Amino acid sequence: MKAWLRFLPSIIGKAIISEAIKRYDIEFNILRAHITPRGGKMLVEISGPEEKESIKFIEEQGIEVNPIIRVVKKDKDKCIDCGACISLCPVKAIKVEEDWTVEIDDQICIGCGFCAKSCPTKSIILFE
Amino acid sequence: MKTIDEINQKIKNGDAVVVTASEMTEIVAENGPEEAAREVDVVTTGTFGAMCSSGAFLNFGHSDPPIKMARTYINGVELYSGLAAVDAYIGAAQPNKDPEIGLDYGGAHVIEDLIKGEEVELVAEAYGTDCYPLKHVETLITLDKLNQAIMVNPRNCYQNYAVAVNSTDETLYTYMGTLLPNYGNVTYSSAGELSPLINDPHFQTIGFGTRVFLCGTEGYIVGEGTQHSTEVERKHGVPTTSAGTLMLKGDMKKMNPEFLRAATMPNYGPTLYVGVGIPIPILDEDIAASTGISDEEITCKIVDYGVPRRERPVVKETNYKELKSGKIEIEGVEVPTSPLSSLKKARIIAEELKKLIEKSEFLLTSPIYRLPSRGYTLRPLEIRKPSILVRELESKPVIVTRPDENIKDVARKLVENNINHIPVVDEKGVLQGIVTSWDIADAVAKGKTSLRDVMTRRVIIAREDEPVEVVARRIDKYDISGLPIVDSNNKVKGIITAEDISRLVGKKMGRGGESI
Repeated sequence: MKAWLRFLPSIIGKAIISEAIKRYDIEFNILRAHITPRGGKMLVEISGPEEKESIKFIEEQGIEVNPIIRVVKKDKDKCIDCGACISLCPVKAIKVEEDWTVEIDDQICIGCGFCAKSCPTKSIILFE
Repeated sequence: MKTIDEINQKIKNGDAVVVTASEMTEIVAENGPEEAAREVDVVTTGTFGAMCSSGAFLNFGHSDPPIKMARTYINGVELYSGLAAVDAYIGAAQPNKDPEIGLDYGGAHVIEDLIKGEEVELVAEAYGTDCYPLKHVETLITLDKLNQAIMVNPRNCYQNYAVAVNSTDETLYTYMGTLLPNYGNVTYSSAGELSPLINDPHFQTIGFGTRVFLCGTEGYIVGEGTQHSTEVERKHGVPTTSAGTLMLKGDMKKMNPEFLRAATMPNYGPTLYVGVGIPIPILDEDIAASTGISDEEITCKIVDYGVPRRERPVVKETNYKELKSGKIEIEGVEVPTSPLSSLKKARIIAEELKKLIEKSEFLLTSPIYRLPSRGYTLRPLEIRKPSILVRELESKPVIVTRPDENIKDVARKLVENNINHIPVVDEKGVLQGIVTSWDIADAVAKGKTSLRDVMTRRVIIAREDEPVEVVARRIDKYDISGLPIVDSNNKVKGIITAEDISRLVGKKMGRGGESI
């Protein structure tokens, strides 16, 4: 699952994630991170057979876990399917269909926002 | 041999054979041009690309008391008003006068809003005359309240175009979209085999008076566009670079927002996506052969936009089949491609025009004259006062330092020489980093002693053979105060600061003053 993890300043010093990885043998992929001594947030992808248990553990340790359903969305009315975004995607989440309709695969997207910033018609919406 | 009149008669009878340019490619490949010419009457083309050289003449009608508008704004975008009292031209690429909005809402956005039927704010200022006493107008208008809104685009539908790539190690924001560093992506703008002027490369049918599909309604070609050129390299009869262009005219009041869209190329500016479809009458075998061209046969050149000069170096040749595959190889690496123009819309336009002709709602015209197909070359703008190159700047002998130098000694050098930047070099004089007086203050504050820990390693540089204007833009872009000048071996030759450039600009203006 993809989720935003939010850290309070009080737990910044604790190595919670590494503990979770050791205990539950999860795959933990950081997609985006912004952590300062005053707390922070991290967009991550967690997977593994003990995924649920690991999330429970992370929450118990004081990290807020907000699962996300969507990372990105294309505004179909505004998009003109010009394709300017396609070659900018670092994870190849943007593809064209047979009829040259541009599609963004939400499952692959890591929400870097580069496409949204470069879209000539501002048709790409990122969920925070 | 067929004539346009014969084809029009067939269209009126509802039995003209109309195919899109993509369908024609297959027909010609299968049956050959002779058979295709017998079988097909009209080929429809289409493109939906960003065309900055677009705009419209608006006539607002006279107010009471009347005004001779000298400066005109719609939703904060300035129009050109050096025409009669209430005429103005809105250019698609004009940014907003409000710096907060800037490039996000420009002339193209005004055009789109008007076509969508939105109410927009008109502000006009005037100097006042005996016949036009009013000096200021502020009101709301809509497209249907205007007397005329005539789109006149001085340059549309480039016949082929350069393909963009970026060799530098910084991201570039261009009219060809965002270009990633180190050949990170490739962008192209032509619709390839669907593109209008590629299907009639020698303008055998297209000319002044050709009726076209323009933004959802009928429009007309009113001659060759600006920068029209014909003396270019060709392959399979088709130019391998930008060549022919069109000037188009159409009635904005009849346009459909589905086939036109305002856009902003990030950090570049506003532009208008214009939907154009041109019908090509298949008068003979020759024209059938031209419209049978395939993406693979249309050659184009990948050009390095990392070089901000008129002549940009060509990286390699490619074709639209390869570009449309989504990836292309450059120096052994697979690079993703982006179309920039909407190939989906281009197809829809070609299909739409096909349907209109099939329904006898769109008849072909014989042009009054054909677009010039020879004798046009592009003239450059020669700057009478040539650019000053970095190497020609008077610069003091450069003070440098070594990575192992003591912070204190570096501080002394800064003070003694009254400078703010010191390039850090190795024993051969090759640039390793740069240190500013601020870095030194920062180091002292944090108790750092080694220069290695405080120097900036990713240095923005100036090359000796670059025009000073290019360097000034770089200083602006990175918000820095100075940068080292290096030769082709990255050896430090000098330093150029924002002050040096201001001084130079001052001198230049002084010189201009004398000559008057």
